[in-house]
Amino acid sequence: MICSEIKEFTVPYLELDLEPVRVREVTIHLDGCAKCRAEMEAVRQVLVRVKGVTVPDPGDQFWSEFPGRIRSELAHAQMKGQGDVTPLRRPISARSWLGTAMWPMALAASILLLIGAWSLKGLVEKGPVQAPTEQTVAQAPQGSQDLPHPTDADLETYWDDDPDTVLVEMAARLDRRTVDRLFGDI
Amino acid sequence: MAQAGEDGMESDTQLLDRYAAGEEPAFEELVRRHKKTIYDLAYRMLENHADAADMAQKTFVQAFLHHRSFKRESSFRTWLYQIGLNLCRNAIRDRARLAHEDVEEVTLTAPHDTFAEVANGELKDRLGEAIRTLPTRQREALVLRVYHNHAFAEIGTIMSCSEGTAKANYHHAVDRLRLILVAGEGLP
Repeated sequence: MICSEIKEFTVPYLELDLEPVRVREVTIHLDGCAKCRAEMEAVRQVLVRVKGVTVPDPGDQFWSEFPGRIRSELAHAQMKGQGDVTPLRRPISARSWLGTAMWPMALAASILLLIGAWSLKGLVEKGPVQAPTEQTVAQAPQGSQDLPHPTDADLETYWDDDPDTVLVEMAARLDRRTVDRLFGDI
Repeated sequence: MAQAGEDGMESDTQLLDRYAAGEEPAFEELVRRHKKTIYDLAYRMLENHADAADMAQKTFVQAFLHHRSFKRESSFRTWLYQIGLNLCRNAIRDRARLAHEDVEEVTLTAPHDTFAEVANGELKDRLGEAIRTLPTRQREALVLRVYHNHAFAEIGTIMSCSEGTAKANYHHAVDRLRLILVAGEGLP
């Protein structure tokens, strides 16, 4: 092997990427050629120095935010109609569901249902209409005195004629404390 | 659901299938597996944190946006490399054009950013300058070989060229660096 041929094998020789036969030929040449040995050493130094160049780690915060930034840009691109992305399905949590615009409507519907149930319960269970006595008021559970009274004759009288008005009247009697107690867990 | 590999880990293509079915955890796992590799590639090509972060992010966005275009003739990682390198080439080209248009922009270096200035002095020394002067293809071959330990066949796939061309690009890069460093520092 001559000097001009050695150049071609310098890098693979240093990277142990040569066939054993070639390695032997290069080694024999290097043993007898100071100029090629110097060339080989120069290339070795370059490779060592190049390999030593590091990339600084941008830090934990960058990496923790990285997927979110991709997701955000992906969603933006999807909205613009780019690509062929299948929208990701996230697990549906109670928090995310309540975060939508549906919850005020659901709350209102719940209030109306409860009021309706109270009214119907009073109509079905009670016999002849009686005026409230001090005793029945005193026996009422704590915190229930601000509720529409179950023996409210006026409301029962008007129920058959105009139930909507009765419901509105009963709803008007609900104070903040009662609403909080009823729906505090929602 | 696809079966996990022998090591118990799902392959990238299995994860991609799950992603295609809309599963969030598959997306997270694919990003987790490859984010540092792609960021490293982008940083070594673009030399500053801001551009590298942006390019790494765009690489994943493009991959997930067009995941159905992935023919699976190579690995998912190789595909990410291809996307990443293409984006880096475009960025380098844009930089060169901007530098040409703006007479005050005399070098092709990236805009300064604090992170790079504080944390990365190494690419700013003579070796960094030498690497910066390499033609893009030679630089790509150098980065993929030296820092990412790819075989030349793989480098050829990533760079969309033959194995021989990839090898030649790498050897030219090393030779060029040697000449620059010898000229600058009096190495043998």
